Amino acid sequence: MTTQRTLVTIFLRGGADGLTLLPPINDDVYRRSRPTLAVSDGHRLDDRFMLHPMLAPLAPLYDAGQMAIIPACGSDDSTRSHFYAQDLMEHGGATVAGGWIGRFLRNAKNPSAAGVLDAVTVGSAVSESLRGAPNATAFSALEDLVGSNTDRAMLDTLARWYAKDALLGAPATAAVAASVQLQALQHAEDKPQHNAEYPTEKSHGGIAADFGKKLRLIARLIQADLGMRSACVDLDGWDSHFMQSSVMAPRINALGAGLAAFITDLGSVLDHVSIVVLSEFGRRVAENTSLGTDHGRGGVTFVIGGGVKGGVKGTWPGLNDDVLEGPGDVPVTTDYRDVLWPVLQRHGATNAHAVFPEHQLRSVEI
Amino acid sequence: MNLTRRALLTHSMLASTGLLALNGCAEKLLEGTPFANAPRKTALSLDQAIDYPSHVLMRLSYGIHPFDRHELLSLANNPDDAANAWIEQQLGPESIDDQVCERLIRRHEALEQPLGELFEYKEQVLLREITTATLLRAVYSQRQLHERLIGFWHDHFNVDMSKGECAWLTVAYDRDVIRTHALGHFSELLRAVVLSPAMLWYLDGRVNRVNEFGMKPNENYARELLELHTLGLDGDYTQTDIMEIARCLSGWSVREQRRFRKGLVEFHPDQHDPGEKKVLGRTIPAGGGEKDLDQVIDLVAQHPATARHLARKLCQHFIHDQPSSSAIAAVEQAFIRSQGDLAVTMRALTASTDFHAPELRGVKLKRPFHFLASCLRVTAAESDGGRPLHEYLQRLGQLPFQFPTPDGQPDQAEAWTGTLLWRWRFADELTRNHLHKTRIRHSDLLRHCGSPSGVISHVLGRQAHADEKELLLANQEHTLALLLASPLFQRC
Repeated sequence: MTTQRTLVTIFLRGGADGLTLLPPINDDVYRRSRPTLAVSDGHRLDDRFMLHPMLAPLAPLYDAGQMAIIPACGSDDSTRSHFYAQDLMEHGGATVAGGWIGRFLRNAKNPSAAGVLDAVTVGSAVSESLRGAPNATAFSALEDLVGSNTDRAMLDTLARWYAKDALLGAPATAAVAASVQLQALQHAEDKPQHNAEYPTEKSHGGIAADFGKKLRLIARLIQADLGMRSACVDLDGWDSHFMQSSVMAPRINALGAGLAAFITDLGSVLDHVSIVVLSEFGRRVAENTSLGTDHGRGGVTFVIGGGVKGGVKGTWPGLNDDVLEGPGDVPVTTDYRDVLWPVLQRHGATNAHAVFPEHQLRSVEI
Repeated sequence: MNLTRRALLTHSMLASTGLLALNGCAEKLLEGTPFANAPRKTALSLDQAIDYPSHVLMRLSYGIHPFDRHELLSLANNPDDAANAWIEQQLGPESIDDQVCERLIRRHEALEQPLGELFEYKEQVLLREITTATLLRAVYSQRQLHERLIGFWHDHFNVDMSKGECAWLTVAYDRDVIRTHALGHFSELLRAVVLSPAMLWYLDGRVNRVNEFGMKPNENYARELLELHTLGLDGDYTQTDIMEIARCLSGWSVREQRRFRKGLVEFHPDQHDPGEKKVLGRTIPAGGGEKDLDQVIDLVAQHPATARHLARKLCQHFIHDQPSSSAIAAVEQAFIRSQGDLAVTMRALTASTDFHAPELRGVKLKRPFHFLASCLRVTAAESDGGRPLHEYLQRLGQLPFQFPTPDGQPDQAEAWTGTLLWRWRFADELTRNHLHKTRIRHSDLLRHCGSPSGVISHVLGRQAHADEKELLLANQEHTLALLLASPLFQRC
């Protein structure tokens, strides 16, 4: 049974439109501003919001109180530049060293106790948010982790060689065990638990299949109980200036179907796993002339599992002219760090100043 | 060791490196390889224990290259004198010809750009280039002790490239501050650090300013200057000293974005606190302006607590995790007597009783960067210092210039014992030549070392003991990988 708590961070790169993921109900401004793009049906959450229909697979979680949704959430970025805003969000501040997860991992407990797979990114490069972590690994498949070294004989020899070493004996035993586990995992049948069905290319398209594959890898590592404290994965391509529906639909589909399968796969282990879904900013309220929307400010953040207190949280300012910011954007009424901190606390963080040195915390109750 | 077993071991190793077939034409293959300019061989006669020349090479370099021992021994008739002569040579790095390494570095032209031009590059490009260059220098520079000291000072005066404009400024910091002064005088090194745009950014000195609207100095740098860079935490200073130093250093800033000569460090008299200050018992009169900084540097650089703090850290790095008080005292005295001459200080460290003590040889755990570099050095690997190595450094948790907190990467063994699996993987992948653009010429290495036991003692820095030979014999397919993964090779 898994005991290690794992933080899974999903970054929606490109600026995901919060008003499509979490459309407001009975909002005249929304309908007027989005004559073609307004979402009019979905899974109703309360009398203010619904979930996009393709996120409906997540609705049971919401109903069970295991999902917090924070609208009008984001950073203090006002450049509306992808690069700058992503950087800011991943670092957790404008002029801080390292990434927010890196600082969390380094401060949560003795870094030397970090396992070999303490922090991972499923993808081609280690995420910026992991900068400064005691160790971090990027990989796309288990084979990348196991490497060429599948030779038990070499491990056995090393185990014998290190056995009498006062300093390195115990760490060597742990390293051998981790290696054996990874190899076993590689050769084990890749069968999701609890009959979870991850999206396939055929069922949900290539983007969802790819995203599902990454989540399944994370689930396998969590289920193998290798001591992984943090996993990051990106879902790219949310920059919907043009033909928003065709840009967003396959990605919302991926997010809904992928996460639903992941959560089924984890089963009761979800109590130890927090899933955070972030994007660098939301998008403008009014649609543009190319049936798209432009860079905005407040977006939507999701937190699932790990003992979260569910519900739609934070402060919804509405969409009236007098509350919109700059060129007509949803303002940020909840700083993303005020959402992350209570999550990190459940994962053992105690020193808020070390993780978010620039930020005066006003944690959201989640 | 009984002869049959030796013969068996020899044979199995030859077979494992695929050498038997190549033996005849190896002479031709040597041309243009790392072994082309091998020194004329003297037999590698190593003891059962690590001898002084091996200790000097292991402890003061990034690992023993196959030529190192021969070259060291050629410096004097007796091995101990030769080792001391090698140290003396290393303490004057500019007198050591390092063209081969410099040619490799020159390919990374971004690193040679003046400060202002650096901003033209993408930060990821600079990060990649400086990481590559740092690896290449650790592996290929002849100025090995200099490189080790540069590593030491980068930890002591840590800057993290992920903080704001440090992404660009660190390149100049490495080149113009740390590399330039690593074996010079401490006060000049410190002054260069304090006035570097990278440190002014990293520890917020650039926003340490006062004005008539009641803006208070930013203490961040003043605190770390005393706590980490000079006197040390037990250095007998007070919160008042920190605040007074912050006042002295107020007004120094870095020219901001999108302006001519961006990154330039300049003094703004209108943002400087002009009043009288009292620092560490000394009065700094009012109206000193930018000269306040010189006074602060002199005060802290010459403070006895600084000598002790640095002596302790140097001994920790080059002698033992828990250095003895006599070793610290010897280094401290040399630092004080020479007024912070770092070559004199290091000479005293290597002359200390502890540095010579046989029981303190081979006991210092290599940190991951050192381990990785030493794997490449000991095998005379050819490498471009590129991405696969960076990925391993990241997995091992020691990418240079990316440590977030100002105390620098930890120097004690306990912080790094969790890295074994990735070290073993690295040893395995390296020796199988699986790393892109990094290659070991097994046959040449074996030829150079004369025999499989020659390879073993070369890598270990001493003869293998009977039980170690037995372990190697038990797993002949990975002899070299096992040696690099062994507990002995994790240490220096």
